[in-house]
Amino acid sequence: MIVDGEHTFSAPRETVWTLLQDPEVLVKAMPGAKRLVATGDGAYEGVIRIGVGPVTAAEWSLQVLLSDRVPPESYTMQVDSKGALGFTRGNAKVELLDETGATRMRYRADLQVGGKVAGVGQRLLDQVAKMMTKQGLEALSREMEHRLARGAAGEPGAAGA
Amino acid sequence: MSRRYVGEWVPRNEDSRLLTGHAVFVDDVRLEGMLHVAFVRSDHAHAVLRGVDASAARARPGVVAVYTAEDLGDYWRPGPLLVPPPPIEGVVFNLATQVPLAKDRLRHVGEPVAMIVAESRYIAEDALADVVVDAEPLEPVTDLERALDPDAPVIHPQLGTNLAAHVVQRHGDYEAARARADVVISRRFHYDRGASAAIENRAVAARWDGQAGELTIWDTTQAPIPIRNGLAGMLGLMQSQVRVVAPFVGGGFGPKIMMFYPEEVLVPWAAIRLGRPVKWTEDRQENFFATTQERSQVHDAEIALSRDGRILGVRDSFLHDTGAYDPYGLTVPINSQCTLLGPYDVPAYDAEFRAVFTNRTTVTPVRGAGRQHGVFVMERLLDFAARELGMDAAEIRRVNYLVQDDFPHDHKILFQDFQPLVYDSGNYRPALEKALELIGWEGFPEEKRRAREEGRRLGVGVVSYVEGTGIGPYEGARVTIEPSGRVRVATGLGTQGQGHYTAFAQIVAEALDVDVARVAVVTGDTREFNWGTGTFASRGAVVAGSACHAAAQAVRAKVLGVAARVLGVPESEVELRDGRAAVRGQPERSLPYGELALMANPLRGGVTPGTEPGLEATAYFGPDRGSTASGVHAVVVEVDPETAMARFVRYVVVHDCGKLINPVLVEGQVQGGVAHGIGNAFFEKLHYDESGQLQNASFADYLLPTALDVPEVIMAHRETPAPMNPLGLKGVGEAGCIPTGAAFAQAVEDALSDLGVEIREIPLSPNRLFELLREAPVPLNASTAP
Repeated sequence: MIVDGEHTFSAPRETVWTLLQDPEVLVKAMPGAKRLVATGDGAYEGVIRIGVGPVTAAEWSLQVLLSDRVPPESYTMQVDSKGALGFTRGNAKVELLDETGATRMRYRADLQVGGKVAGVGQRLLDQVAKMMTKQGLEALSREMEHRLARGAAGEPGAAGA
Repeated sequence: MSRRYVGEWVPRNEDSRLLTGHAVFVDDVRLEGMLHVAFVRSDHAHAVLRGVDASAARARPGVVAVYTAEDLGDYWRPGPLLVPPPPIEGVVFNLATQVPLAKDRLRHVGEPVAMIVAESRYIAEDALADVVVDAEPLEPVTDLERALDPDAPVIHPQLGTNLAAHVVQRHGDYEAARARADVVISRRFHYDRGASAAIENRAVAARWDGQAGELTIWDTTQAPIPIRNGLAGMLGLMQSQVRVVAPFVGGGFGPKIMMFYPEEVLVPWAAIRLGRPVKWTEDRQENFFATTQERSQVHDAEIALSRDGRILGVRDSFLHDTGAYDPYGLTVPINSQCTLLGPYDVPAYDAEFRAVFTNRTTVTPVRGAGRQHGVFVMERLLDFAARELGMDAAEIRRVNYLVQDDFPHDHKILFQDFQPLVYDSGNYRPALEKALELIGWEGFPEEKRRAREEGRRLGVGVVSYVEGTGIGPYEGARVTIEPSGRVRVATGLGTQGQGHYTAFAQIVAEALDVDVARVAVVTGDTREFNWGTGTFASRGAVVAGSACHAAAQAVRAKVLGVAARVLGVPESEVELRDGRAAVRGQPERSLPYGELALMANPLRGGVTPGTEPGLEATAYFGPDRGSTASGVHAVVVEVDPETAMARFVRYVVVHDCGKLINPVLVEGQVQGGVAHGIGNAFFEKLHYDESGQLQNASFADYLLPTALDVPEVIMAHRETPAPMNPLGLKGVGEAGCIPTGAAFAQAVEDALSDLGVEIREIPLSPNRLFELLREAPVPLNASTAP
C-alpha cells in the first residue's frame, strides 16, 4: 500500500526538522500512539492503539528507525509494528522543502500489512491510512504552532532548544 | 410384489434430527473440565521463524498450557503423505507435508505457530496477544511462473526447488494430429482459488480416559477411520484404544478429508498430556487461512480439429498451485488432466503439468477437485473452435461424443486411483438433446432478439462433462436384524449432509423387504465400524452403498436359512415380505424377522457348527475402477454491460449418475453443486496480494452466492447403469459444480457476442467482467448489433 502526499507547515525548515526527530512531538502526531521513546540515534520504540473496520482497536508495538538523514532536507523512516491481529511494516521517504517562512513536506510510504488485519480490513485500509496520515499531520502542525508560540514567548522547551 | 425403495422418492430420514436441533455436531460436545484452545498463527506468508516467546501467555491466569514446536518433542513431525503419486512413467514428486507447529520457517499466513490451552476460549484468545513471534520476513512466492525461476526463493530449502511435481501423460501422436489439422486453436486459461466455505468450520474435541485407556476424538473429518489409524500410530496407542467419531458435519466438500491438520493432531495429544478433555473449534477467520483451499491453475492449451469439427488432438500444459505443502499428492492436478478429455473422442492427447509450491494455504481437493479446470479448458477450446468453424456450440459437441459402441473406452492414461482412465459406460447424446430441449435452444435466437429489443442482453451456453466417481479402494458395511425386528446398518465413512442415512436404509430395506423407517443407519463412528476409507470423490453412495447391498444380501440369506429350518421347508419355499418370512403360498405360516433373530441367537442348545449366531453380516465392496458419471449443463444468463452484473435466468442440468437411489438426494446434490459452481464462476475468489496476504478473509468481502443469485435448477435424469457395481450406481456429489464455470463463460460471451469479449478465466466477477468489457475489441457504445 502506498501512502503519499504533501503537507505544508508554517514554520522554518530547521524547526520542522528538529520537531520531527522529537519523540514527544511524534507521539502526539501519531493517532493512537500511547508511548514513544528514543532508544538510540534515530531509533524509537513505543505502543500504538489502532482499529480498522471490523478489527477492534488493539495495542500494537511500534518500532521506528530514521536513517539516511540529511538535515534538514530528508530522511527515511522505517516502521515496524506488530500486534495480535497482524503487522505493518514499511518505509517512508520524507523530504522537507524550504519555502519562504514555511516548509513543504513531501512523503511517500510503502506499507505492507499482514495477518488478520489484512484479511478482514482490506477495504478500509487505504481510507484508514489516509485518514491517520491526515490526522497526524494536522496534529503535528498544531503542536508546531503551539511550540512556536511558546518559543516566541520565551518559555522553556521551545522549538530548536 | 415386494417393496421397492431403490429409485424412489423417500424423504430424508436424517432431516427430523437436523431440523429439530437433535443432531450432534463436534462443537456440541461439552465435557466436564473441558479445556479450550486458540492458535497463534503466522501473519507472514514467508519468513524465518527465529523464536517464539510464550512466557507471558503461560503466566496469564486461566492459561493451562502453551505449546510451541519445541515443546512437542518427538511428537513434532511432518504429517503423512495422504495419497502417493500414481505410478506414471517419469513422474517427479517432491514431498513436503504440513507440520504441527511451525519450527524454523513460516510458509503461509495462518500457519499455526503456538497452541494455547486455557480454561475458556476467551482466555485462550486473550493470550494470543501475549505470545511474541520473532520472524524475519522472506520474499514470498506467490506467482506460479515466478516460483520456478532459478533465482526464486525456495519455500522448502531441503528440496532446493519450488517444483512439487511434474507429470507428462500422452496417448496418440499429437504432433501428427496437429500437422494434418484444418484448424488449431490455442489459448491461455486461468482458474483461480476459492474457499470451500462449509457452513460448519472444522472442530476437534478429545477425551482421554486413563482408566479405560481409551481416547475418544470427535472430529469434523470426512474420513474417521484413516484419522483413527493415523492418530493411534502417532500417539503410540493401539488402534482399538482410539475411537474417532465424526458426528453430523455441516458440509465437507473435500478439505475435511483425512488431512491430519495441525489442530487435529495436537488436540488429542494435549488431551492425553493434560488429562482433561480439550476442544478447538475453528472460527471463520481461521477457516479462510488454515483450511485447505481450491487451486489456481494456468493452462496453455491447444486443440487441433478437422474442418468438420472433429477433434484430432489436444495438447495441454499447465501450472498447478499446490500451496505451501503437498500432502494430498497429485490428486487435484491429475483430475484436471484426466477430466479435460470429457465425453469426447480425443485420438491424441499430449498433457503435462507442473505443480508448484507457493506461500499460500495448502491446496487439496475441494468439490470438483480439479475436474472443473479440465472441463473449463476443453469446453472453452471447443467454443472457440466452433466459432472459428462457424459451427453451432451443440453441434461441435455432438460430433465428438463417444458413442455407445465405444464403451468401455480406454483413454490410455492413468487416473487419480492409479487405474487406467477407462470410461465404464455412458450415453451422452440423449443428455445433450434433452438439455437443449429444456433450455429452449432452438428458440433461443428469437428469445435473444426480443430481449435485445427491450434493451436486455441474454446469452446461452451448453457444456458437457464426465466425472470419474466411485473409486476404490473399498468400503464396508454391517447389517444386523435386531430382536425388535428393526435393522441396524453401520458403515465407516463420514456423513456431511449427503443423505447417507436415507440412501443406505433404502438399499437395505429393499434387499430385506422391510419398512425403510425400520432401518437405522450409523456412519462415522469407528466403534461402530472400523474398516474403510472415507467420503470423497463422489464415492459414498457407490462404494459404501454397494457394501450395504452386499451385507443385506448376506443377511437375507441368513434369514432364509433360519426360517427354512424353523418352518421346516426348503429355503426355496421361503419368501420374505414386509419384515416376515413365510412359506410360499401360506402366509399364515410365517414369522417376523425379530423372532428369527432371537432364534438365531439361542440361550440353550447349540449353534450349528459352521453357522454364526444372529442375523448379522458384514460385507465389503471394492471396485476395480470407478464409474463414469456424465451430464450436460445449459444456462441462460442476462448480462448488463453497464454494471457488468450477470444474472442466471435459467439453469438446466441433465445428469446421468447411473441407477438413482433416491431422486430427492440426487436433486439436492445437483442443486447444491450448482450453487457451489455459480459461486465459483462469478462470486467467490480468494484475493491474495503479491506478498501472499489474503485480502478478503471474511464473508463481508468474500462473496458467496445467495438464494437470490442461484436459480432453481431444471433437472432431468438419465440412467446409464454402471457395470462396475451390482446396483449400477455412479456418484453425483460433485457434478453440479464441475461444468458451471464453462457454461457461464459461454453464455456471457454469447450475451456479449457483438462486442467480441472472450472469457478465458474463472472466477469472473462484475469487476473483472467490467475490465474485459473495457478491453473488448468492439466498444460497448460502438456496437451496432440490434
